[in-house]
Amino acid sequence: MIKKLKNLCKIACGSLLRHKLRSVLTILGITVGITVVIVVLSAGQAIEDFITGQVNQFGTDWIQVEVKVPSAGKTSLENVGGLAQGVTITTLKLSDAEEIKEHPNVRDYYAGNVSQEIISYEAQNKLTMIFGVTAGFIDIDPSELIQGRFYTEAEDKGLDKVAVLGFGIKDVLFGQRDAIGENVKINKQNYEVIGVMEEKGSAGMFSMDDVVYIPARTMQKRILGIDYITFIFNRIYDTSIARQTADDITLIMRDLHNITDPNRDDFHATSAQEALEMLDTVTGSIQILLLAIALISLVVGGVGIMNVMYVSVAERTFEIGLRKALGAKYNNILNQFLTEAVIITFIGGIVGIILGIILTWLISFVATNYLGFDWQFYFSIQYILLAAGMSVLVGLVSGLYPARQAASLDPMVALRKE
Amino acid sequence: MAKEKKLIKLIDICKQYENEEVVTKVLYDINLEVNKGEFVAIMGPSGSGKSTLMHIMGFLDKPTSGTYYYKGKKVSDFDEDKLADIRNEEVGFVFQTFNLLQRTSVYDNVNLPLTYSDKKIGDQDVIQAIKSVGLYHRKDNLSNQLSGGEKQRVAIARALVNRPEIIFADEPTGNLDSQSGKQIMEILQDLNEKGNTIILVTHEKYTAEHARRIVSIIDGKIVDDYQVKKRLIAKDEKYLTK
Ligand SMILES: Nc1ncnc2c1ncn2[C@@H]1O[C@H](COP(=O)(O)OP(=O)(O)OP(=O)(O)O)[C@@H](O)[C@H]1O
Ligand SMILES: [Mg+2]
Repeated sequence: MIKKLKNLCKIACGSLLRHKLRSVLTILGITVGITVVIVVLSAGQAIEDFITGQVNQFGTDWIQVEVKVPSAGKTSLENVGGLAQGVTITTLKLSDAEEIKEHPNVRDYYAGNVSQEIISYEAQNKLTMIFGVTAGFIDIDPSELIQGRFYTEAEDKGLDKVAVLGFGIKDVLFGQRDAIGENVKINKQNYEVIGVMEEKGSAGMFSMDDVVYIPARTMQKRILGIDYITFIFNRIYDTSIARQTADDITLIMRDLHNITDPNRDDFHATSAQEALEMLDTVTGSIQILLLAIALISLVVGGVGIMNVMYVSVAERTFEIGLRKALGAKYNNILNQFLTEAVIITFIGGIVGIILGIILTWLISFVATNYLGFDWQFYFSIQYILLAAGMSVLVGLVSGLYPARQAASLDPMVALRKE
Repeated sequence: MAKEKKLIKLIDICKQYENEEVVTKVLYDINLEVNKGEFVAIMGPSGSGKSTLMHIMGFLDKPTSGTYYYKGKKVSDFDEDKLADIRNEEVGFVFQTFNLLQRTSVYDNVNLPLTYSDKKIGDQDVIQAIKSVGLYHRKDNLSNQLSGGEKQRVAIARALVNRPEIIFADEPTGNLDSQSGKQIMEILQDLNEKGNTIILVTHEKYTAEHARRIVSIIDGKIVDDYQVKKRLIAKDEKYLTK
């Protein structure tokens, strides 16, 4: 048994060594496929880690209420499209937030609008995100101030023109100078800078430091000229009943908005758990897509092997005929060619695994150190086993047809092919 | 007992090749019996069908019609694996065109049948087979570095290595000078004396003289089949020529 296996490997290696360049090229085909598999698996994991990390920053103890175009799913294209096309939902009010706050499991909240405005100081102008949120924001959001203070509820209700600058905006407008007590212009009005946020870094493409916070009511009345809001972010006490609380909030909201038909809901309440589940579906489909790409490249590699094996069978017809004439059985020849194919794909697999690990590490290194992503280098023994298994499988599948062709040759016919 | 002695029995064997609308009739109603331990020479002009007959008897090719009994059993009932086993363990075949593996050493060529054999035959026997054809000094040479006669002898060593009962040799001395040819014939004769059945094709009357029986074929038909009463070359004579 062992002698036979040794023999098979010896014959296969011999024929592979005879055609070095061809063998190397075929191995390369599989290597590329396996490298892609490894990178894709690790990348999928990194993307998942990254996204859940982003969500977990906000903790899991929250329920968000957002406006929604009635009779549209919360994430449906219709909703996104409707909102983007300027269908404005004007029914969500700060008073709704006050009412939700009465629920025993709701601890506190912040609510408001987001807009883009030009902010200027002396000669400096910058188009920036303005968060018009209620004073509760600073208690709930993990961010802290490095200078000054956040605005109070009294200032919000008094429509005071005060602003808290994100770290990046402060840097653009003031540089090293002190910003506290200075006036910045937003929408041609003067706002007194009362605080500066600490540096938060970026969340992907979007820098959380290029943001300005002003009181929610000030934003409504003085900048946007509206009386509605677009979101309420509630912090809750007991996360184990988050789902129930979200359902309660939905009922409270329907009552407030006089809605009897759930299809006419003009809002949606999402718990952290629900958001995570939605993200899981998204990352899941991203991973499946990436894996499909990897599989396609493996199939391409497999077709390459099949080609080479067919050429090899054609070239070695005489050898096969001779082996059969001297007593080789169908299975002997079949195994010989399958072994050859599997050796190619196995070597390709091993090189691919090594390259994949190196590449994954490089990507995570570059992403983390130069692009500001928190891309963890992720790797597990399962990936190696999976990739090795796949490479052997590709060898078996793509080698099978050529090997069967070889094994079925008639010895006398094959011998005449010299 | 008598049945066991009968190794090969051909009844009305015909063979024709059919390729691209051309039908070539090669063998007509061949009837032939070979007993265990015989030394048969098949003779005939070029193209008369000698090799074709050898391939059929050597389990390499199949007749178009007729029946081949091997050890009393119909060969047409054997499956491919059974035929492969017989080719490997019971039969040694020396091809007219040697059929060696290119770019492969003499040793590996001779060793090739053992790759597929369950018989306990080791390195020493491979070396022994190579020595018996006088090629020990060439055992590591690649087959394409050999002369025609040397290739012929490698092919013979390969046919001997798995200790077959029957040896088919298709013009084994065709490429050899008379001295080397004699050596080969002596090897075959020794094997025959040890109980092996030898069936050989030859053109040369001279080599046929080692055989006990000469079968003549012309145009695919057996025209003559006679027993030689005693070997024409006396056993002592081969010692004299040395
Ligand atoms: N595969 C084939 N297809 C068609 N015809 C063939 C084939 N093989 C052999 N023949 C023909 O069969 C005839 C007998 O061939 P065979 O090789 O048996 O002759 P031979 O007696 O061995 O001749 P030689 O002494 O030259 O070796 C020849 O006429 C040859 O052309
Ligand atoms: Mg011939």
